[in-house]
Amino acid sequence: MTVTVERGGRVVRRHHRHHGRTTRPRRPHSSYALFLLPGVLAFLVVIVVPFLMNTGVSFTDWQGVGSPTWSGLANYRELTHDSEFWASFRHSLFMVVAMAAVPTVLGLVLAAALFDFVGKHFGTKIAAVLRACFYLPQVLPIAVAGIVWSWILAPDNGSLNALLKAVGLGSLQRDWLGDPDFALYSVMGVMVWVQIGFPLVVFMAGLQRVDPQLYEAAELDGAGWWRRFWHITLPQIRPEIYVVLLWCTIAALKVFGAVYVLTKGGPGGATDVPSYFSFTTFFEKTQVGYGAAISTVLTVIILVLALIGLKLQTRAEDAEEGLRA
Amino acid sequence: MLTTRRRALATAAVALAGSLLLASCGSSDSGSPDGKTLKLWHYEAPDSAMGVAWNEAIKEFEAKHPGVKVKFEEKGFEQIQKTAPMVLNSNDAPDIMEYNKGNATAGLLSKQGLLTDLTAEATKRGWDKKLSAGVRTTSQYDTNGVMGSGKWYGVPNYAEYTMVFYNKDLFKRYGIAEPTTLDQLTAAMDTFVSKGITPLANAGAEYVAQQYLYQLALSQADRSWVDKYELYKGKTDFHDAAWTYAATTFADWVKKGYISKKSTSLKAEDAGVSFIQGKSPILFSGSWWYGRFQTENTFDWGTFLWPGSNLTLGSGGNLWVVPKGAKNKDLAYDFIDITMSQKIQNLLGNKGGVPVGADTAAITDPKAKTLIADFNTLSGKDGLAFYPDWPVAGFYDVLVSETQKLITGSEKPDAYLSALQTAYDKGAPKT
Repeated sequence: MTVTVERGGRVVRRHHRHHGRTTRPRRPHSSYALFLLPGVLAFLVVIVVPFLMNTGVSFTDWQGVGSPTWSGLANYRELTHDSEFWASFRHSLFMVVAMAAVPTVLGLVLAAALFDFVGKHFGTKIAAVLRACFYLPQVLPIAVAGIVWSWILAPDNGSLNALLKAVGLGSLQRDWLGDPDFALYSVMGVMVWVQIGFPLVVFMAGLQRVDPQLYEAAELDGAGWWRRFWHITLPQIRPEIYVVLLWCTIAALKVFGAVYVLTKGGPGGATDVPSYFSFTTFFEKTQVGYGAAISTVLTVIILVLALIGLKLQTRAEDAEEGLRA
Repeated sequence: MLTTRRRALATAAVALAGSLLLASCGSSDSGSPDGKTLKLWHYEAPDSAMGVAWNEAIKEFEAKHPGVKVKFEEKGFEQIQKTAPMVLNSNDAPDIMEYNKGNATAGLLSKQGLLTDLTAEATKRGWDKKLSAGVRTTSQYDTNGVMGSGKWYGVPNYAEYTMVFYNKDLFKRYGIAEPTTLDQLTAAMDTFVSKGITPLANAGAEYVAQQYLYQLALSQADRSWVDKYELYKGKTDFHDAAWTYAATTFADWVKKGYISKKSTSLKAEDAGVSFIQGKSPILFSGSWWYGRFQTENTFDWGTFLWPGSNLTLGSGGNLWVVPKGAKNKDLAYDFIDITMSQKIQNLLGNKGGVPVGADTAAITDPKAKTLIADFNTLSGKDGLAFYPDWPVAGFYDVLVSETQKLITGSEKPDAYLSALQTAYDKGAPKT
């Protein structure tokens, strides 16, 4: 049946199929709010209060001990012309490419290939094993993965250079993490490897809810794999794509562990990112006020991006539901 | 209006939320002084010279203090370095703790009033007599947290210094004698390069590279130069003769192949392992490697002080500090006293450490004798010049980052020195 619900001032028609029974969407009962209370308070204590405290500290000149001195917007003014800070944000954009854009694209293609081709021709078990293999880096602690990759990418006896030499490509050997022209791309490569399993798993789950009749109908109409992928797979799993892109972009903006283990921001700051920059400012330089300003800016950027992402997602879902209605 | 059930639910929710709030805001109380527990933190590996000596000191302490239990917690260096101010500000502070020395570490904590003034104990128990002037520098801090004068805030029980470790077997194989001058060292490195071997083990991502650089500068410097740089007794000019020589020579050594261009991303451990594996014939680094090389090197090796230099990197070792909020301070002083005893100092010396109060006759290991003799030579000529990253908080990262650029050739020596000058001037106290 079709019911009408109000959302954001607009009227959206929504289908409810409840095995012939007519149901009315229930408004949340006010007493349910009690159940939310512990969660809300925990959120306040663990997230909101520390964030506000951090913001407060960002307006001070403080070494982490003793009394902070109020410095107003001085830290933020300094940030605006701190070339290291802006360089770290530029590197963050590279990380967004490595951790959100590339894994999403590759994840889509791989998920479709595993679901559509491997699953159908070699069985779902093989597809599941391959999916698990791709997901494995997500399970590994980043410290472990980082150490292993630093061995692989080591300049003298690293296995990547050894492999290149063995196959006659010795001229391509590099100091992958030590050459400022390559270090950022090397870290990006590692992050693609780390990240790819997440979109793959989400997209494969999404593909399972796509009505197979759509594919069958398209096949009967003579659509090839690419057309089916473009016109059916992509639109059908759009919500999953939004979630993955948003999640991975946030992860990319706050990436820390990989940089810490692989390069410590080097060589010469070539792989520095805001979270690592903030960390060194806090703990190495003991400029706690300035470090707090960096992390406040980072949090605000992530928050804004998250809200924009959620808004876009909701709008797209609404539009989709509007079309279906 | 709330029903009874809902009211109960609300009460439970508020109670849970309240306990969460309390748990997050409150601090755990480590208990009042009882005279029965000594809470001790240190970060020495159990098999290192210091680790072995401190474990023995704990046993000795418990034997001398029946009924007192040492509650030892093994910490990591980074763990203590990064969290010390917060821990010392809380009720969870230990009674005694190993802490890093220098202006940006122990100096900062002393300035903030987080450490106990040990001056009276140092005089009463004679620690001040046992430590040479160079070693003592890191124990005392003035009201601005600058080392070298003022009250005692820490006591080191060992010392450390840098030296040239060399692979005698490899030197012999290529017919090279132990260098006694810088020219001979340079000639030796030329020979290795001609044989396709990179002579110096290096690590650009950590302290090793900056130690080469600082040593090159020290070879052209004197005590007043060090005092200007480390103790702010005058203006430090990074474009002076010593720093310019260091930066240009280092860059030249990279060009000549003495230092690998591929060493930018390597860590100190990589440099040490390269020496242990016999891949690099020379490593210039600190005495903290000594015990490990004794255990792991499978070839004949030796050490010598950097030729042609009165000064080298080094200082008293890490400090025992007593937090201001320590509950059992008297027990902490007793423990420091035991680590200063000749028995513990001799043990430290025989395990490859550099003791500050050992009986030289009791040191039996020949290599340990050389290590201590070299230290005594250095100490006798007031040759400990501390470390290059000490003067300014965060300078370590600047040195790492800038020296990496020097290795890759992406920065010229002049620009390198200017970058150091900017960071130093920004962080050093205004005189």
